[in-house]
Amino acid sequence: MDDLPFQKITISGPTLSALMHRIATSLGDVDGLLFGHVTRLTPSTLTDDNTPQNPDSDLVATITSFFCPNIPLSFYDSLGRVDSATLHRLVSSTTHQSNSSSSSSNFLGWFSARRKSPIRPSMREFCVSQSLSRLKTAAKGDKDLNPCVFLLFTTPVHGEMLYHTHEYRAYQFQVNSRCFEPKTIAIDNIGPDFRGNYGCFSPNSPFPELKCASAMNDEAGEDLNRMERVSKDQKELDMVAEGFCVGDLGKLMGSETVNSTMSLEDLYEKMLGKLDNLARQVEKSNAKVLEMENHNRKLRYKIARPVPE
Amino acid sequence: MSYDGFLPFISAQLQYLLNHYPHTIQIEQARSGTRYFPGSLDRFTLLIPYCQDHMKWDVIYNAEFPLAAPDVIFGAEDEDFHPFHVVCGEDGDSRLVKNSLTDWNNKDPTRLLALVIELRDKYRSYQEKRVGEVDDDRLKFEISTIVSREGIEMHMSSGFEKPEEVKFAVPLMDMNINKMVSACPWRHPQKIYLQVIYPVGRKYASAPSAPRLKLMCTPELKALFSIDDVKLPPWLDGMCMAEYLPHLEELLQRLVIEAVTLIDVRRQFIEALAPLLGRPLEADPVFCRKASFLVCSGPFTFMLHVFLSTNFPKQQPSLMLQSTQHFNSLGMPVKSPLITEYPWSPRWETSQMADRISDFLVDESLNFKRHCNESHLQY
Repeated sequence: MDDLPFQKITISGPTLSALMHRIATSLGDVDGLLFGHVTRLTPSTLTDDNTPQNPDSDLVATITSFFCPNIPLSFYDSLGRVDSATLHRLVSSTTHQSNSSSSSSNFLGWFSARRKSPIRPSMREFCVSQSLSRLKTAAKGDKDLNPCVFLLFTTPVHGEMLYHTHEYRAYQFQVNSRCFEPKTIAIDNIGPDFRGNYGCFSPNSPFPELKCASAMNDEAGEDLNRMERVSKDQKELDMVAEGFCVGDLGKLMGSETVNSTMSLEDLYEKMLGKLDNLARQVEKSNAKVLEMENHNRKLRYKIARPVPE
Repeated sequence: MSYDGFLPFISAQLQYLLNHYPHTIQIEQARSGTRYFPGSLDRFTLLIPYCQDHMKWDVIYNAEFPLAAPDVIFGAEDEDFHPFHVVCGEDGDSRLVKNSLTDWNNKDPTRLLALVIELRDKYRSYQEKRVGEVDDDRLKFEISTIVSREGIEMHMSSGFEKPEEVKFAVPLMDMNINKMVSACPWRHPQKIYLQVIYPVGRKYASAPSAPRLKLMCTPELKALFSIDDVKLPPWLDGMCMAEYLPHLEELLQRLVIEAVTLIDVRRQFIEALAPLLGRPLEADPVFCRKASFLVCSGPFTFMLHVFLSTNFPKQQPSLMLQSTQHFNSLGMPVKSPLITEYPWSPRWETSQMADRISDFLVDESLNFKRHCNESHLQY
């Protein structure tokens, strides 16, 4: 398979900061998977002559999410050989979670974060990237799915504890020449300067498509059918808003639009309520995860530091 | 070097490495990658000798996950060095591959040594391959004539904005110097190397220039033999290493044998001092490079340190006087500067050399006593 070199690798500010937070709060060195999409830039300058444009430079890899199993060697062994079964499990569970129907979260590559070490790919990191590129090429010939992106995070060897310094570099693994090609990494932030980057943006969690609102106006057919549909729609609506009644959606359109501002505000408030509730749940489950992590850590220390007899 | 702070299993592997590696390895920059226990060290830089230079390799363990095998980061110049890349399974059947990282066992102290040895061997092959690929006729010829020498190492350096060079480290003389020294304290075999650096030739260069030559040796050999004093024979136009090396080896062989006999000359000199100054308090018994005596001049007692160079008796010993009664403001004994000029002739008999030093000390001790009293009064 041909290598398709990226012009650059972009990552959104929130994703990068979430990733860094994860790395900074991890106990030791961690690694994980990167997801996102590859887009072709539309050339901004159009010329009349027919000289073929350099096809190398218009591909951009955009990292939109990541998955960090919080343990090293999670999907490969000490030699850097990727365990395809584990990888497949991790990749499919992650892409399912983030709404696999949108093609915005392909498996792009992986990252490695190690403290106080030189910012160069290590022996094992090379093997993992090489193994990854082989694996996918063997599985299917889909160009977009070649997981060749590698992000490396380190902290300075002589770093002081008082400052948090993160160093990071992005690479694309070239299958043919078997080497890491350093790539520039661009951070997309929200704001007028970055509007261009969001041109092809599609939200990850679109509002559910409800047939209910229009059905309300139909002549009341079979009641049972209708009720079933309403309860199904209500369930879907509950996923995005807390306690907003499906029936009230009708107030947002048609003849009752007079009070639409209030209804809309009500809907937004309930959506925020949903988010709030979710955040609380996350907080609770995080506490549980932390508790389990601590327990695991204690078990690991038992292995590392044998109790003197 | 202490291993305090390393996790017990890392410390055991490190200790085994340092004690069993055939050459001297150094550890630098021990540090920790954990968040909560910055005291438990789990990563460090190894200085591994190669081609009369050092490679700096970072070994990264993971204190949080002690069962995981360590990872290695090679030097910035060696980004193309991938020792285990073939094992990633060209044919898909990678389970048969065996190297020092497969079935890693953190409780086995020999594992790190095995890993370092394997990686260094691979690095050597990697450099030999790189040097072999250089398109330079003279180099190709040189390699073909000397590659069979046991222990030869080569290195290709091509940094950014640096001229390409090929460096050889050629071990010289098939003689065991350790065996020639009685009661030899050296743990590692001592060797002399010739470092030969060839600039990689441009095709249009008419006459190839002489390579840069430098003699080097294992550090401990300096107690016996001063490599810096050896004058290299000239490199004639159109010469090659196969012609040059035999002459050089012959010369060095002679010098090393002479250096070994000089140990006895130094010993006799120290023994000749004993009747005049008393038995030495302390003397270097193997190489006889240093002896200390306790000397009295009336009520004033002081120590005399005698330092003998490897060129003794051509070069006279350096003397240093140290008072046993006077101390400076820091509580250190007052010492004289090194005395290197006093009556001396290498042609004197050993006993005469000792006599003359004894005579010289009669006056010098008075000077030193005055110096001590003066500096004593200041504080």
